[in-house]
Amino acid sequence: MIAEQSYIKAKTIEQAIKEAYLTQGSFRFLAGGTDVIVNKFQGNETSQLLIDLTGIDALKHVVVIESQIEIGSLVKLDDLKKHKSIADNFPALVDAAHAVASPVIRKTATIGGNILCDNRCIYYNQTEWWRKAAGYCFKCNGDICIATGGKNNCLAKFVSDTATVLISMNACIEVVDNDKTSVIPIETIYTGDGIHPNNLDRTSLITAIIIPINKGDKTIFKKLRQRESIDFGSLMTAVTLRNNGSLKIVLGAVDAKPIIIEAKANDKLDEVIAEAVKKPKTINNDIFSRKYRKEMIGVYLKRSFQELGLM
Amino acid sequence: MKQISFKVNGRQYDLLVNSHEMLSTVLRERIGLTGTKIGCEQGSCGACTVLVNNEAVLSCITPALRCENADIITIEALAKDGELHRLQKKFVEKGAIQCGFCTPGMVMTAISLTPTLDLNNGKESLIHQIKEGISGNLCRCTGYKKVIDAVAEYVLETNTDPDSIIINPSDETKSVGVSRPYIEAEKKVRGAADYANDIVMKNTLHCKFLRSIYPHAKIESIDTTEALKLEGVHYIATGKELPITFGILTVSQDETAMAVDKVRYVGEIVAAVAADTEDIASEACKLIKVNYIPIKEYLSIDDSINDIGDNERIHNQGKFNNNVHKKAELRFGDQQQGLQEADITTKMSFEFLGINHGFTEPHAATAYWDENGLTITTATQVPHYLHRALAKVMEVPLNRVRVIKPYLGGGFGGKSDPFPHEMIVSHIARKTGRPVSVRLTREEVFLTNHGRHPSKMTVEMGITKEGVFKVLDADIAIDGGAYGSFGVVTSYYNGVLLQAPYKLNNFGFRTYRVYTNKPQCGAMRGHGAVNSRFAVESMIDDLANTINIDPCELRLMNFLDSNTQTVGQYRITSNGSREALLKVMEESDWKNRIGKLKEGHGLGVACGFFISGSALPIIWNELPQSVVHLKLDFDGRVLITSGSSDIGQGSDTMLAIIVAEVLGIGMDKIFVLAADTLLTPVDFGSYSSRVTFMAGNAAKDAALKLKQEIVDSIVKLKGINAEELNFTNNRIFTNDKQLDLSWIEAVDILMVKRGAVSVSGKYISPKLGGDFKGAGAGLSPSYTFGACIVEVKVDTETGQVKVIDVWGAHDCGKALNPMAVEGQLEGSWHMGVGQAISEQMKYYKGLLLNNNFLDYKIPTALDTPDIHAHIIETIDPEGPFGAKEAGEGAIHPVIPAIANAVYNAVGVRITKLPISAEDVLTQIKENKGI
Repeated sequence: MIAEQSYIKAKTIEQAIKEAYLTQGSFRFLAGGTDVIVNKFQGNETSQLLIDLTGIDALKHVVVIESQIEIGSLVKLDDLKKHKSIADNFPALVDAAHAVASPVIRKTATIGGNILCDNRCIYYNQTEWWRKAAGYCFKCNGDICIATGGKNNCLAKFVSDTATVLISMNACIEVVDNDKTSVIPIETIYTGDGIHPNNLDRTSLITAIIIPINKGDKTIFKKLRQRESIDFGSLMTAVTLRNNGSLKIVLGAVDAKPIIIEAKANDKLDEVIAEAVKKPKTINNDIFSRKYRKEMIGVYLKRSFQELGLM
Repeated sequence: MKQISFKVNGRQYDLLVNSHEMLSTVLRERIGLTGTKIGCEQGSCGACTVLVNNEAVLSCITPALRCENADIITIEALAKDGELHRLQKKFVEKGAIQCGFCTPGMVMTAISLTPTLDLNNGKESLIHQIKEGISGNLCRCTGYKKVIDAVAEYVLETNTDPDSIIINPSDETKSVGVSRPYIEAEKKVRGAADYANDIVMKNTLHCKFLRSIYPHAKIESIDTTEALKLEGVHYIATGKELPITFGILTVSQDETAMAVDKVRYVGEIVAAVAADTEDIASEACKLIKVNYIPIKEYLSIDDSINDIGDNERIHNQGKFNNNVHKKAELRFGDQQQGLQEADITTKMSFEFLGINHGFTEPHAATAYWDENGLTITTATQVPHYLHRALAKVMEVPLNRVRVIKPYLGGGFGGKSDPFPHEMIVSHIARKTGRPVSVRLTREEVFLTNHGRHPSKMTVEMGITKEGVFKVLDADIAIDGGAYGSFGVVTSYYNGVLLQAPYKLNNFGFRTYRVYTNKPQCGAMRGHGAVNSRFAVESMIDDLANTINIDPCELRLMNFLDSNTQTVGQYRITSNGSREALLKVMEESDWKNRIGKLKEGHGLGVACGFFISGSALPIIWNELPQSVVHLKLDFDGRVLITSGSSDIGQGSDTMLAIIVAEVLGIGMDKIFVLAADTLLTPVDFGSYSSRVTFMAGNAAKDAALKLKQEIVDSIVKLKGINAEELNFTNNRIFTNDKQLDLSWIEAVDILMVKRGAVSVSGKYISPKLGGDFKGAGAGLSPSYTFGACIVEVKVDTETGQVKVIDVWGAHDCGKALNPMAVEGQLEGSWHMGVGQAISEQMKYYKGLLLNNNFLDYKIPTALDTPDIHAHIIETIDPEGPFGAKEAGEGAIHPVIPAIANAVYNAVGVRITKLPISAEDVLTQIKENKGI
């Protein structure tokens, strides 16, 4: 018979984590978006228990604490721009949030959910029937990468628009599990393994995103996609220029993890670009070719540098 | 199961729902609010948008249990006290509703959007905000233009020019040429119009299919034992039960309801399960064991065109050892002579990927049997041909089959074949004695396909240095997929429809259609000629460049005249080519702007030509192409019955307009009953852009007969000369007003001792064309013509092409309903932008990679350019009130105009669709010598 399914709408962080620990079967936290449901329709998400987090009011805050802003992980993407502190200090974050999916989805999708959006591949984000016909790949318990024909690893792409920007701004996340709370830089959670793209314990929750306010820092976000709405990125770039002249470049959708390049504004920027183009392990798992996405890294970074007055 | 409490449209509900059930299915299936539509099941189309606690939410990916204690508003609750919401009224007034399937979601999104719009930055900013706000709601019919207009007018609280729209048609009896909403627009905007999947019958079984995972394989065995053990499973059908072949064309009866001995594409139906619920049927499908023996597959034109050696062909047809389905060749004039007379010749090759119709309503059907035989309610453009196919496959007389087309959420050719799922639910309904319903997922819609053929062609053209076209020769190959569908017609259309709109004395083509192991291709808007038109218009642009003539001027020099004949003996009557091109030149300010745009910007032009209804029926017979019945009864109401199929293009309204015009009465006295093969006379359906011309003429014929009946009765009673009678403004009167009857008084006179009066009108195409083999292809009683000028912006560092403006003009003869014609044109150009810029069917080993609305890139409102539609009226001598088609022909010019604009912008000649940013960039760099 069809497996018994259950659904819990948690009211508190503690309840959500407790339910995760208590469950006998598989579970999945569910934020607002929800790509999880689409994955479920396609048979890529088979958890029997869905723990819905959207009722946890404690995760919906935006507060300025000294020189940083703390954004609750359940703050909706569409709401970010409504907070003056965010719009004034982090316009690039607003840009990135605005580039996610479509307007109606952004009214329910959350920043925490976007940071943890599962990696994607044109050979994986398909129905159960399709994947059976194609032959299962690494990410669905097969033994091959269809995109590369390789036998080594999965390079399903990291696609979070907001994380790309947040990393470039040196943002941290607060992670809560049963017995501990920790604050870690966002980039440290991404593994580069397309199958298990983050290293958070399954029972842990991102509760907040903490972004330092460094007056004078400037960030530029860009996204390559075929249409101006709905689409996931085929390439995202975020470049932050610090007051002290340092540059933090983040590339998304060209590797299984965000690719970070640190540089200085007075470096030879052509060389920085060349390094950025070279660094990601980009494969043909997207509507745009590997070659083109690589080439666009150069164009997007050059344009970002120009907008920052560096070129 | 879990208990949930929430409010829907103000009413409290306490329901038991499945733990992982989505809000959309709870609303539709538990509460019966079917105004909320399901188009993609992945949050990519927006048709399911509802308000939850006053925010727009995609209900198809929202778990119902998330909405505990929520206040939910659906489309059904917007109207209050019988009055539409003012935004709904705007949608109706502005013609923002065609098929209406996306409408409820679009309205709900717009309702939630409007309070957030900033009105202080001018109209342009407002329009952009609206485009942005609705950019997650896909519409395939309107090109968004009238939707955006409706929302803008609503927020600006401006009123539509009262002269341009008749909201309450009963005030006026002038019908032809007046813009008006579709007669059913209000029903659609309320969410009250029932589409095939909205109609629920009691005791219905739900059907799901097991589909092949191999492109080409023998079926060794099918074991349904385990599946049949699943509780709730009632019947499992396999191919051997339904061995009779069918197909839309008499010459291509090559498809069975399910694969019988072998499968021919990944996705072909192998077995069908009918069960108490869809979930049970799906589970059962997984338990069916099929043993396949894969055999060599053919996935490209090149694979299929050659001798295949010892391997097995896809179909055992034809005498050659290859997979060629159809080969045709026609030559007119003397091409060698033409080449000699030409000063300049050019030969270019083109490649086009396949595309899909992308209608928003997935296929759905419900079938049952009773004392009247089979009744099927299904999303079809061709009730009549489905009627015939069902009778054949079910082995019952024609009079035992009833096909009903409910409201239909877009077709564009994609619902113009009889389909396997229609055969299967009919069969299982007979076997089980219960109604059986099916609805395809979006993935299944893509697998069903019947979209535009992937094509390759090499075309040669010759021209004098003064600019006179001397010769055109096309060599075309199209990839038909696994079955025939309309393919034989498509093959011919690729060639024959190149013989206009330009004078060509030496013209020929050779065309192949091959079978491949992929979902079949068929008819899609602009059928057959879209890709070859692209090739020719691109080459004309290239030649104009070579001989240094303005490409508009070159076209103007070569147009065919009105009242002439083409080299292949098409009779050209009205012809608005010249007016159309001059109009778009003027509107785009072509002369002043061409060559003077800023860097990266370009202007391009192209023209087009299409049939206005196929002069020959698909299945040869002597029936009229259209019959329309009118019944006038004592209440003064005229009932139109017609087998024509309104698929969102507004044909029901068109019939009402024509009858109202002839009788001089208001639209409120007209009632249309259409597309029910039990109740309505035969009409061949909605394909080949035939309905306005043919069903419209039949309606006019019937209305004239009814008018004559009224005249005769008045003449007999009052002794008045028939010629003196006027029918206007709901009255029948003589000029001197000696006789002045209201409509109902006239009806009373007609009914005396007789009762209701029924008349029948018909349309039969005149005998046309030559007597050579293939002469029938592309014959039409009339043809339409058009032109587009497009402005694009090309990013020279990324190669990305942005279409900024489309100025289009189309000769539709006479716009019976100008707002509806504009809607067709805008929708055509939107669809053309998609094929030009973003749409493609991409395969991996015969498996469609982008079988959903996230990866198949239908342009959103933000990707759709500003569209400026112009109607050209040439008053066709045989069209009803001079009208011709407007639904398909307009798509032809826009695609090459975009490509020619890219050439104008950056000097890159596009020879492959869709235009790839990567290819454009490579070319730009090559041109620069980088």
